[in-house]
Amino acid sequence: MRAAMASADVDDDVLGSDPTARHLESKMAKLTGKEAALFVPSGTMGNLISVLVHCDVRGTEVILGDTSHMHVLENGGISTIGGVHPKTVKNNPDGTMDIDKIEAAIRSPDGKLFFPTTRLICLENTHANCGGRCLSAEYTDMVGKIAKKHGLKLHIDGARIFNASVALKVPVHKLLQAADSALLCLSKGLGAPVGSVIVGSKDFIAKAKRLRKTLGGGMRQVGVLCAAAYVALQENIGKLEDDHRKAKIFADGLKQIKELSIDATSVETNMIFFSIVDGSLISPKKLCQVLEERGVLAMPASSTSKGNFAYSFWSK
Amino acid sequence: MVMRRVDLRSDTVTKPTEAMRAAMASADVDDDVLGSDPTAHRFESEMARVMGKEAALFVPSGTMGNLISVLVHCEVRGSEVILGDNSHIHVYENGGISTIGGVHPRTVKNKSDGTMDLDQIEAAIRHPEGALYYPTTRLICLENTHANCGGRCISLEYTDRVGEIAKKHGLKLHIDGARIFNASIALGVPVHRLVQAADSVSVCMSKGLGAPVGSVIVGSREFITKAKRLRKTLGGGMRQVGVLCAAAYVALQDNVRKLADDHKKAKLFADGLKQIKELTVDTSSVETNMVFFDIVESSFISPERLCQVLEEHGVLAMPASSTSVRFVVHYQISESDIHYALACVKQAVQELSTDGIAK
Repeated sequence: MRAAMASADVDDDVLGSDPTARHLESKMAKLTGKEAALFVPSGTMGNLISVLVHCDVRGTEVILGDTSHMHVLENGGISTIGGVHPKTVKNNPDGTMDIDKIEAAIRSPDGKLFFPTTRLICLENTHANCGGRCLSAEYTDMVGKIAKKHGLKLHIDGARIFNASVALKVPVHKLLQAADSALLCLSKGLGAPVGSVIVGSKDFIAKAKRLRKTLGGGMRQVGVLCAAAYVALQENIGKLEDDHRKAKIFADGLKQIKELSIDATSVETNMIFFSIVDGSLISPKKLCQVLEERGVLAMPASSTSKGNFAYSFWSK
Repeated sequence: MVMRRVDLRSDTVTKPTEAMRAAMASADVDDDVLGSDPTAHRFESEMARVMGKEAALFVPSGTMGNLISVLVHCEVRGSEVILGDNSHIHVYENGGISTIGGVHPRTVKNKSDGTMDLDQIEAAIRHPEGALYYPTTRLICLENTHANCGGRCISLEYTDRVGEIAKKHGLKLHIDGARIFNASIALGVPVHRLVQAADSVSVCMSKGLGAPVGSVIVGSREFITKAKRLRKTLGGGMRQVGVLCAAAYVALQDNVRKLADDHKKAKLFADGLKQIKELTVDTSSVETNMVFFDIVESSFISPERLCQVLEEHGVLAMPASSTSVRFVVHYQISESDIHYALACVKQAVQELSTDGIAK
């Protein structure tokens, strides 16, 4: 990646077109089965742009999971920055939302004097807060049908979609087929230093490009970053399966520790969440502190005493 | 046939140097969102020091730098910002401060030298007595150098006076200093002194300084803390961003000293253009690396057409208005390139004049 960055063929991607960015974006569009793609500095910007482009009319509402990354960990940007109203639906432990609950959350046009207008449904695959769980192609397609039935768009926060694809053994383009847009991260398990990519129709991407500029994501000789992202794409998707295997080994090992409880069957990709048994009186924070003294870094996932941990695995 | 290419559209076209590429390839990096990227940290500390402010923050673009700055100073709903009617923030940033940030702009006429009349600035400040009907003015923005006014420099004295007005009325002052180093060099004033009156400044690394990507916001620690959070919200939180900061650091070390040469080349260009009778240039207004020239009405040459013909010769420029064209010089343009470009302009003007084709 470092070599690719150093030798990247670049140009001003705002005034004109950076050839390396184009190269990456074409490849991503092809891989995902969409018409076009756009490189962005972060997953947060990718999701923000996607929601704001689908919801470009004031008074819009988006349906998304109550523990989704977008709702919990993106500073509420779709509202504070974009003026879009969120309608949350409970996330099941497997990362899905009940289909009938999604449908019930769609605002009826009859109430429009009081209601915002629902324009978008968002899914997250893999679902981080639910343990890196995979959404199946069948489920995704069903949500897509509902969206179409009600004239809504579907966006997939696919930050870790490659993990889902590898774990489910379903090609990425099939997993995203029902979606109007998707966000994919290159800087996570695929290992690039920076960046994500949004994919969608040519029309969607044209609007996304303009909004990217407005938000301040228009970078000049950005090929230096895209070159590394391209290497990530070529070399590191194949390594994800190993990460999943290592996560399972870890989960199986943790299961042996009686003070901890873990649902090993829910470890589908590269994340492990485990709870600390009530009676053991160990707090997640304290456990992480002690682990850090031994050079192991982890993240408390919740603050309650029956706490969870997130461990993520990546290949070196 | 490989055509000679002289790209004078902007100083943003500068490509990373070998030194930058090497620095990027060997940068010591870490996750700058979960923790702290050491190269970003080092670069930001140096920028804060150079600019004489407490802290600094690397951002993907000047647009984001300005957007964040305005939104942090104007974080309370119902805010208004005073800025030039011809400023980059007002004209070329997609109106983001409003469409994204909900901040209302109050423009004051930019004079040809990039300044605004001090009394007009003061008159534009909303009176608290009208609070029932008015938004609340919280911020004044200056731009130095002022792009649309020809890359003109805002003097130290003027900046300090605007700073005094801001303080008098309890307002903040932000400087869009995308090309502040050009101003500093041209005026012979250290950059930290030039921006002393400002609460925040946005500085571009990717323009004349030549880095591939990025700008830096500088300000107080408190301001930068808020800016960092807003940067994340807007989606500018990049992970192993040291790969970009490494190049920006090289730009800072190596290329500030090259700016004086760009100014010389710009003057050379302007003097040459002055000789062409179909064009008018105010050479005294060429203070930094930008050259704007007007096409004399009677010649019936349009800026678009002129730029098209120039492009056929490999010279790239930008129409600036219905009657003017802009050239921007940077350190990757040689003196020989300037002479070539001049020759092309002369030829293009002749072609278009003798053609008599008005478009």
